Amino acid sequence: MIKITLQYIPLNPNVAFLQIKQTEVNQIPFYYPIFYVHVYSAIFVLLAGFSQFSSTLLKKYPATHRNIGKVYVFVVLFLSAPSGFFIGLFANGGLYSKISFVTLSILWFYFTLKGFTSIKNKNITKHRAFMLRSFALTFSAITLRFWKVILVYLFHPAPMDVYQIIAWLGWIPNLLIVEYYLYNQLKK
Amino acid sequence: MKKLFCLLLSIFLFSCNSKEKNLAKNNADNSMPKEIRTDLYGSWVGDFTVLERDTTREAKEKYRNKINIVIKKITATEVTGQSIVAGNSRPLKGFMRRTGNTFYFTLKEPGDDKNDGVFTFEIQKDTLLVGTWTAFNAKKEVTKRKFELTKKEFKYDPNVMLEDVDSYIDFENPKEKLITDTEDQEDTEEGEDSTSTKKAEPYMETVYRAASEKIFNINSSTQKLKESDVKNLKKIDLEILRNTIFARHGLTFKTKTIRQFFDNVQWYVPIATNVDDQLTAVEKENIVLLKRFEKYAEDNYDSFGR
Repeated sequence: MIKITLQYIPLNPNVAFLQIKQTEVNQIPFYYPIFYVHVYSAIFVLLAGFSQFSSTLLKKYPATHRNIGKVYVFVVLFLSAPSGFFIGLFANGGLYSKISFVTLSILWFYFTLKGFTSIKNKNITKHRAFMLRSFALTFSAITLRFWKVILVYLFHPAPMDVYQIIAWLGWIPNLLIVEYYLYNQLKK
Repeated sequence: MKKLFCLLLSIFLFSCNSKEKNLAKNNADNSMPKEIRTDLYGSWVGDFTVLERDTTREAKEKYRNKINIVIKKITATEVTGQSIVAGNSRPLKGFMRRTGNTFYFTLKEPGDDKNDGVFTFEIQKDTLLVGTWTAFNAKKEVTKRKFELTKKEFKYDPNVMLEDVDSYIDFENPKEKLITDTEDQEDTEEGEDSTSTKKAEPYMETVYRAASEKIFNINSSTQKLKESDVKNLKKIDLEILRNTIFARHGLTFKTKTIRQFFDNVQWYVPIATNVDDQLTAVEKENIVLLKRFEKYAEDNYDSFGR
């Protein structure tokens, strides 16, 4: 993922994914800067998430957990999710993928916000549940690309047909797995 | 008196001599540009097929290419023309002989290219050009090719399209793919020999890229393409759409991958090795767009990313 992000350094309006988004880059005001906000911010969210589910870190360095957590919440709520919502409106693959990406960004924002407010209210169970959901959606950055490789290898579909499928396949199974896990925890 | 006579005689002889010289000069001027059989001038187009190939080597040269032999000028002593095939355009020089109603030609390429050779052919009934080509270099992979050509003039028509009769498959770039399917095995009828119950071994299968139906509907020369028009196309579709522009302008293609798509196209006449100055504004823009999408498809289609 870091390698994918590094493609976008230095700033270039016609590189990698943007090569096929020239219509948006040229016609939609702010598409280009907002796209870059998403790319540069989301990579930190993805990295930050890995440390936050470690109970060792939480027990030994609770302050570090809180600080990284604050960064995660800030970046998702103010940078990654709003920019994701905006570029989701112009997603490849037509209406199906647009609905998917816009829904994804709204849920992402909501889960992250809930995770934050619940810890402010000292509700650790709720905090943990919402942060797991939030990260399940963050992790869709990886699962979406992973599914793409598999689908292309197996079926060689047209590029935008793949895109419509992975738009949904990227995050819904992630969320279902987390919900199933939370449901099992609840029963215990 | 004698002296005077001598002088007159020498003057007379001298003047005669210069007259003769002038006459000879005039004759030379007349015979130089006398062109004959201008009705045979123009493009003769058809298949250029292997006759002799060194089979001990890996087959690199295509079995069949589309060739255009242009006859430019025929005089009693000299014939000039051009051969255009497989991305090469070579000047031809030679002569024509006539036996009965048939014209026999021997035309040589310059010889400074490793693919140069000599064409020998006859034109039958003024309509069919039949003959062979022999490479100068006898150690070349393909040393002899044959051809049967008919007259077909090149004309740029932006409206011609690929015909939806062939499926466009890239046979030049096969890929090996591992197949581990075992489903087929279970369908075998009862009572067959014991091999049917054995576990299927994974095997390699050769797969080819195939173009989609879109290449028959999108005209890359007349419609200004938008990103949304080409976004859902695979790389092979994009390549074909872009090269159809060049095919309409009669570009002779250097790569076998592209030749296999256009050599069978009825309207395609190779005429030049570079047509860049012929392209229309719309075509130029479409080429840039298609090229960009080809690059994106190349870099991203089957890799981890979007």
